[in-house]
Amino acid sequence: MKVAVVVQRYGTSINGGAELHARYIAERLARHGEVEVLTTCATDYVTWRNELSPGVEQVNGVSVRRFPVKHERDPRVFGRRQERVFAHRHSIGDELDWLDAEGPTTPALVDHIARHAGEYAFCLFFSYRYYHAFYGARAAADRAILVPTAERDATIGLSIFNPLFRNVRAVMYNSPEERTMIQAVSGNESVAGVVVGVGSDVPSNPQPGRFRQKYNVRGPFAVYVGRIDENKGCKELFDFFEGYLQDPHGKLSLVLVGNSLLPIPQHPRIRHLGFLNDADKFDAMAAADVLFMPSYYESLSMVALEAWALGRPVLANGRCDVLKGQCIRSNAGLYYDNAQEFAETLKAIEQNRWLGGTLGRNGRQFFREHYDWPVIERKYLDMFDRVRHAPAARAIEPLPGWFDRRRQDLPAAEEVLARLPTGPVTGHRQPDGRRWA
Amino acid sequence: MPEFNVRSDSVNVEHIMEQIRARIREKRGVDYTEEQIRELAAVKLEKFLDPRGVRSDLLDQFRKAMPAYEPPVLPNYSFESDTLFESHRGIIRFFRKLFHPLLKLFLFNPNPLIRALNIQSQLNTMYADREAQRESSRRAMDQLYYELIHNLVLELTRTGIEVKNLKMRVESLSSRLEFNERRARALESAVVYKPSEEERPSRPSPPAAAVSPQAVQTTPQPQTSSPQPPHPQGGVPQEGPGQRSRRRRRRRGRRGGPVAGQFGSPGGSPQPAIGTTDGPTEAVSETPTASATPEPGAVSVSSASASDDRSDATSGQALGAPDAAEDDAPDDDGAPDTGSGEPRGQ
Repeated sequence: MKVAVVVQRYGTSINGGAELHARYIAERLARHGEVEVLTTCATDYVTWRNELSPGVEQVNGVSVRRFPVKHERDPRVFGRRQERVFAHRHSIGDELDWLDAEGPTTPALVDHIARHAGEYAFCLFFSYRYYHAFYGARAAADRAILVPTAERDATIGLSIFNPLFRNVRAVMYNSPEERTMIQAVSGNESVAGVVVGVGSDVPSNPQPGRFRQKYNVRGPFAVYVGRIDENKGCKELFDFFEGYLQDPHGKLSLVLVGNSLLPIPQHPRIRHLGFLNDADKFDAMAAADVLFMPSYYESLSMVALEAWALGRPVLANGRCDVLKGQCIRSNAGLYYDNAQEFAETLKAIEQNRWLGGTLGRNGRQFFREHYDWPVIERKYLDMFDRVRHAPAARAIEPLPGWFDRRRQDLPAAEEVLARLPTGPVTGHRQPDGRRWA
Repeated sequence: MPEFNVRSDSVNVEHIMEQIRARIREKRGVDYTEEQIRELAAVKLEKFLDPRGVRSDLLDQFRKAMPAYEPPVLPNYSFESDTLFESHRGIIRFFRKLFHPLLKLFLFNPNPLIRALNIQSQLNTMYADREAQRESSRRAMDQLYYELIHNLVLELTRTGIEVKNLKMRVESLSSRLEFNERRARALESAVVYKPSEEERPSRPSPPAAAVSPQAVQTTPQPQTSSPQPPHPQGGVPQEGPGQRSRRRRRRRGRRGGPVAGQFGSPGGSPQPAIGTTDGPTEAVSETPTASATPEPGAVSVSSASASDDRSDATSGQALGAPDAAEDDAPDDDGAPDTGSGEPRGQ
């Protein structure tokens, strides 16, 4: 069995969520069959500049075939087109223009898929929103399996993606919330789908003491791991944590791990350590009392899963349905909607040792049940079997003609998004009796 | 304030979040529903609109500062169908009307002009009236807004003062609560043993040297005021049942609040203090009485906690005021015993 993993960027130095997800899956599936990664020569997701050589190379034992990006992203053009399709009535042509502006525009990759699709048993397309997934899945629709990594943002409201969701052979969701959202927007209930997510290589014996000694961190602390960005909810986190610092009973400090795009508040109990290697990162998480996950938009928080794997509780932003749903289903984290709730939940974890410990134990159990690598690999292999024995897929819906593409009859994507159901999936059991992942 | 009462290993996050939110609601106060808020707003508004609800003369001053509104007299004209042909001379008026058809025939038709100017004149009048009405109603609304804001400021000020008072009460209550908790802990840590009546005579009486000089010193005082029955063991006159404790409480209250009162006085270790004095009389007068004379069969709290507050003991000594004098003197700070949270009935 030969599987193609198609993703926008690929490499050991690329730490984007979907890209890392794809790499982990490719390396794990390589143990069960032949895997070839089809990707671009870009490493920067903003410009899509060709920085790597086209051709074939080996990355961690996996064959990687790179294709050049036809043109870099022009931020002004992209911004203008995005404004048009997100906020105004528009046409399918506008959406296709937006997709082309977003990139990474790699017709060579799509041509390769079209010519060589027969060589692959399945093509796994990561990130529905990019050029390679949209056109690649159309080129190999009869063997396309989509890993959408969809977040609750306006892109999901673009109509060009609905046929994509409906016509692939299977969809590997990251969370029940993601599945609910995609099914609501595209009506793809008949397409085979499973909530899978991704595992993580968490060390079995992290060294929290080593971290404390190395970075001179004393006392109890909460940790945030990831890019320190306003889009990730970090500004709100700083505001809320500064409110918490006003409370004389609170003893927690805040340790920030990751590159910062925001000014860090100057306070003796807020420390920014910058980017850390994996060993230090896991040591920091193991040493922390709680992990903050302040992001508004997530399809799956790998950091939260890693914290749970290390037996640490998570305090998540309750306005992110996925995070809230994960906390509820796992019983391994609390969530907040405002500053008061942030302070109270943090105090609850801080002052009730048994609560933090129990949440952490639940998280570890949740991770083992749903995100341990054997579980993830099994779900992928089961899905391959299922698709292999399922009847052949329908032909993918063709793109509309010249006139239909210019008909300005599509609502703004933000309007579509606003109509979608919200809230976490709180049912604790799947139809087969297992707990939700 | 409810604490988390989920104490098992299996926690329910939703349940915990409900508890946390309930706690936030309790801290914040009562959460009104939208309907209740509207109702309250309506009640307040009625009160504001009621002239009897106005509680100061600021509104009158505002009215005085704002002169009564009189609509200005705007220039206007009246334009009727014969205005163009009018004249104070009758002959001219006659010829103008006579030649009107010729004017229409050979030069221009003035009727549309007359009609337009007539309409404009009417419009001017109408707009002037409307503007006057609008201005007067605006001024009336201004007065109403002023009144409303004024009352809001009053209410807000009063609420602020009330909040401050409540905060002070909360602080006072929390300090009392803290003291009571410490007192309870101290009591729990002490062993209280009270002998039965049968045991009391059988216990060996303390040697004469062990009897506190304070007790010796305080002996004559009750006798001068009212004769007391002799002490069963040492012949020392017995004090009334609550007299000693009352005196002790009063003294502790003067010495420095709840900590001194709770964790004992310098009398907790009386013998060394006595030894450092020059003579027995001074020692007697400077040695506090609290726990100095151990009551037979009863181990008081102060004996266990005397060492907890050495500094207080030192300060008590440094004052050097004779206890007897202190005991007899009234409480000059005027604070009642319970005001400092002193324990009763020890």
